[in-house]
Amino acid sequence: MSGLLYKNFRLNLSSMIFSLVTAGACCLTLILMCLFGFTLRGMTPKSEELTELTVGFAACYFLAFWLPSMAISSLFAVDESRTCCAFTMSLPQGAKGHVEAKYYYILILNVSILFLTFISDTITCAMLGGVVNNSAMIVIIFVFSLLLSAIEIPFMIRFGSQRGVAIKGAVIGGVFIIAALYFLFGDISWLLSDDDPLEAFMMWLQSGDIVIWLGLFPYFCIAAYYVSCRISVKLFRKGAENYEQ
Amino acid sequence: MSNNKKLTVKRLIIFLLISFVPGWIAVTIMWSYYGEPLYASTNESIAVPVYLLGVFGMMMPSVAHLITRLVTKEGFKNTYLGLHIKCKMGYWTASLIVPIAYSAITAFVLWAIYNDGMSLSETFPNVNMQTVGIYIFQIASSVILLFPAFGEEWGWRGYMMPKLMELMPKPVAVLVGGVIWGLWHAPLTIAGHNFGVEYPGYPFSGIGLMCLLCIVMNAFLTLLTEKTKSIYPAAFVHALNNNLSCSIMFAIFGSEAAMMKFAGIPSPEAFVPYIAILSFVGIISLIFLIKKDKAKKEEALGKAA
Repeated sequence: MSGLLYKNFRLNLSSMIFSLVTAGACCLTLILMCLFGFTLRGMTPKSEELTELTVGFAACYFLAFWLPSMAISSLFAVDESRTCCAFTMSLPQGAKGHVEAKYYYILILNVSILFLTFISDTITCAMLGGVVNNSAMIVIIFVFSLLLSAIEIPFMIRFGSQRGVAIKGAVIGGVFIIAALYFLFGDISWLLSDDDPLEAFMMWLQSGDIVIWLGLFPYFCIAAYYVSCRISVKLFRKGAENYEQ
Repeated sequence: MSNNKKLTVKRLIIFLLISFVPGWIAVTIMWSYYGEPLYASTNESIAVPVYLLGVFGMMMPSVAHLITRLVTKEGFKNTYLGLHIKCKMGYWTASLIVPIAYSAITAFVLWAIYNDGMSLSETFPNVNMQTVGIYIFQIASSVILLFPAFGEEWGWRGYMMPKLMELMPKPVAVLVGGVIWGLWHAPLTIAGHNFGVEYPGYPFSGIGLMCLLCIVMNAFLTLLTEKTKSIYPAAFVHALNNNLSCSIMFAIFGSEAAMMKFAGIPSPEAFVPYIAILSFVGIISLIFLIKKDKAKKEEALGKAA
């Protein structure tokens, strides 16, 4: 397994560096924002600023995890030929080892980004006088990123990286259309009844109605990642038949 | 003493110096700057640097591990960085269940000792879907505390313990390792961490209790690391241990009155049941740790015969 992992790191070195640099840049942006916005001015965030601040942090941390996931298709593209797949299947680890190594690679990459965001969160928490701590939010974004990969990878393996990306785009487009339809025709009184929709959303998050689901979400994502890996191993042989020579 | 053992001792000394010295210096400087014990202060401005000290201080043993390997040209064999999940699934499961179990049992024992006529349902009235959700999420969010926990574990269990076990029998190594680990916490204990500064025998009884706690924890963590040949289960237990203390159980499930009562128990006193329960875990771990050795020795003797 370590050999296959090494191969993935070696072949995707540039995309890995890109991923870590973009994630680092997002974290640095937050640190600079806190430095110039609060620390150098000797201020700590007021309670009415907390919602906007939390949303800003969430956006940056989401970008830190999401931008690297854009480069995942290149991880699969490098091995997409029948010759390569035949060679892979002849290895002692077989197709299983090949696919599992990809999942391990993505997990390691995500954990590296989690580490960067953890350091960034620790520093920003200290800079803001301990008022804002986003560790719970980072965990949610981390597992959500794993969930997205878990959905995306079986498609990439079965239909190839290019079609996989197209399917992913279609799924995201579908979600946006459903959301748009909901906002156009659905019941959005919860959003409109309050002066500040953002505040209303945060209140809903903290109301306790979804706490149990939020608590189970990380476990669900990890289970989904594992199941996705098993499915991908099963789909690999079929997918390999469609690859070009 | 053979050359190999001399080299091991030299490496151990370098590792311990790098692990210990920065922490002592940082606490001394901060204490003299703020002019009061760091963890027993009411000054809010201390909280943030103390938080940073805690997070980054926990990473020092790993830094020491890395530097020692580089300086002594030891190389990077037996780093315990592999996963090896499949072959030792039981130990991986134990790393999740045991910390949750002993924190829950500690909360129960604390209630049993200090209930003052307050029933269990009165002490923990908030057991519902919402609080269970919070508790489950608290377990999941321990993932982020894996980094500082890994920082300590990769140093203590990933480097110090294998070196100590090269030099002495396993039970003695667990004892010595636990004392070293406890003494590493001494600057924080003196600064009021865990026990405050107002308890009988301050600071020596606090340091002693911390050493005792570290010895029993060390047995369990060493068992996990040695059996799985991986540092991650121990790091996970450490993260859960720091994130799921029984005070969290009181905060999530307990009533306000129970919280007040629990907060009123002097820290060293509250630690005693916790250490007693952990001792049980420690003794079982030590038995498991030695048992394999005996089996190996008997096997070797059988082969020789």
